[in-house]
Amino acid sequence: MGGINFADWLAAGPGWLATMPEWLQNLFFQLYQTFIYQDRWKFFTNGLKVTILITLGALLLGVVIGVIIAVIRSAHDSKRGTPNIVLRIVNAICKLYLTVIRGTPMMVQLLIMGFVILKPRGDTQIVVTAILAFGINSGAYVAEIVRSGIMSISAGQMEAGRSLGLNYAKTMWYIIIPQAVKNILPALGNELITLIKETSIVTVIAGQDLTKAAQVIVTKTYQPYVPYISLAIIYLVIVLILTKLLGLLERRLRASDKR
Amino acid sequence: MISVKNLQKSFGDHEVLKGIDENIEKGEKVVIIGPSGSGKSTFLRCLNLLEEPTGGDIVFEGMNITSKECDINLIRRKMGMVFQQFNLFPHLSVKDNITLAPVKLGIMKADEAEKRALQLLERVGLPDKADAYPGQLSGGQQQRIAIARALAMNPDVMLFDEPTSALDPEMVGEVLEIMKELAEDGMTMVVVTHEMGFAREVATRVLFMDGGYIMEQNGPKEFFANPQNPRLKDFLAKVL
Repeated sequence: MGGINFADWLAAGPGWLATMPEWLQNLFFQLYQTFIYQDRWKFFTNGLKVTILITLGALLLGVVIGVIIAVIRSAHDSKRGTPNIVLRIVNAICKLYLTVIRGTPMMVQLLIMGFVILKPRGDTQIVVTAILAFGINSGAYVAEIVRSGIMSISAGQMEAGRSLGLNYAKTMWYIIIPQAVKNILPALGNELITLIKETSIVTVIAGQDLTKAAQVIVTKTYQPYVPYISLAIIYLVIVLILTKLLGLLERRLRASDKR
Repeated sequence: MISVKNLQKSFGDHEVLKGIDENIEKGEKVVIIGPSGSGKSTFLRCLNLLEEPTGGDIVFEGMNITSKECDINLIRRKMGMVFQQFNLFPHLSVKDNITLAPVKLGIMKADEAEKRALQLLERVGLPDKADAYPGQLSGGQQQRIAIARALAMNPDVMLFDEPTSALDPEMVGEVLEIMKELAEDGMTMVVVTHEMGFAREVATRVLFMDGGYIMEQNGPKEFFANPQNPRLKDFLAKVL
């Protein structure tokens, strides 16, 4: 399965390898088996593509769902007296969605989406299924984040927009949401980071993501040490890059706050 | 232009407006004064339906705006409003604050609106602030921008809700000056304020509200020189 043994590898390798201490030779051998032998690094790059695809798709879906639900919920809550019947029904549906999604584990939602509702066949279908499952899940959390952002904007902003003749939706879109987004960016970034890590459970519906790549290599080499530590490092690097990018974005959006 | 009949407004059990009848004609400058809690701000905010009346009718330019068939968004285009807290949009530059509504409502093209914005900034004495953000401006400057923003919609009437109450004393004058010029240009204005000097100088009519009613009204000279209602006498004795 591994396809190559230590002695052959050492003999074929460059001379400097033979002069090294044995534990280091071992580490290099495992790195070789994990990444280089039979171009196994391709498992990781292909897996990374799937991880990023699922994350971006789910993020997009999550933000769309989240904003829609947040706007409905705030419209409902900001009405004095009794809101009309349609708004009350839609609001109740939103609340039910939030309760179910936030009250059950992501893994269970993924299993239900993958084996009960959609039953995907083939890689593309699995990726789409994963995007739906993670996006619907993320939407519930994004909704509450966006709602907190909308509530953080003073009522005077809505009144100013409405007094100019803009309707509720236009005031939301051009005045409230841009300010809310600025306030919630840290929380939204946190959600993105959680999301990219959580996609690793897509292996349970046979998604060929980054985590699956490491698992595949372990089944070939029977050496879990290097593949899994490498996997952790790759996730860590992605998260560090995202943190940095979000920090830059936050600084840009704060440009109008200068006094 | 605005005709109010038996206007009532309650917040829960709390009755703020108990039946207001009032006519405001084109070109009038009506100043509303009264103690806090008298309902004067609520009355003003009912005029453009920022507060929904619980009873009575408001007819604006022949249209009953409290009826269900009336599109309040169209009515509000014709009624500019200036708030105590300015309520400029902090994420937009001064220019964008002014052009947002005319452009997004499809009333003006972007370049047209921009030209108009610069004219209005000239008019409120802040031509060099087009690219500044509200957070960089003083309260007085922000309120003058807010007036320009309301004027950008070419309203038929301007509503002012205590426009100088949140300002430092030395900035009150600059805002009142702009409002005075606006009055001289013939704008119909309804102003809730505590600035008695402004009422005396600019108003064509002064209303005194207390306890959810209009208790007394008169031309500014008579109003201040010869108050009839004991509560108005009491109020004027305290503020003048």
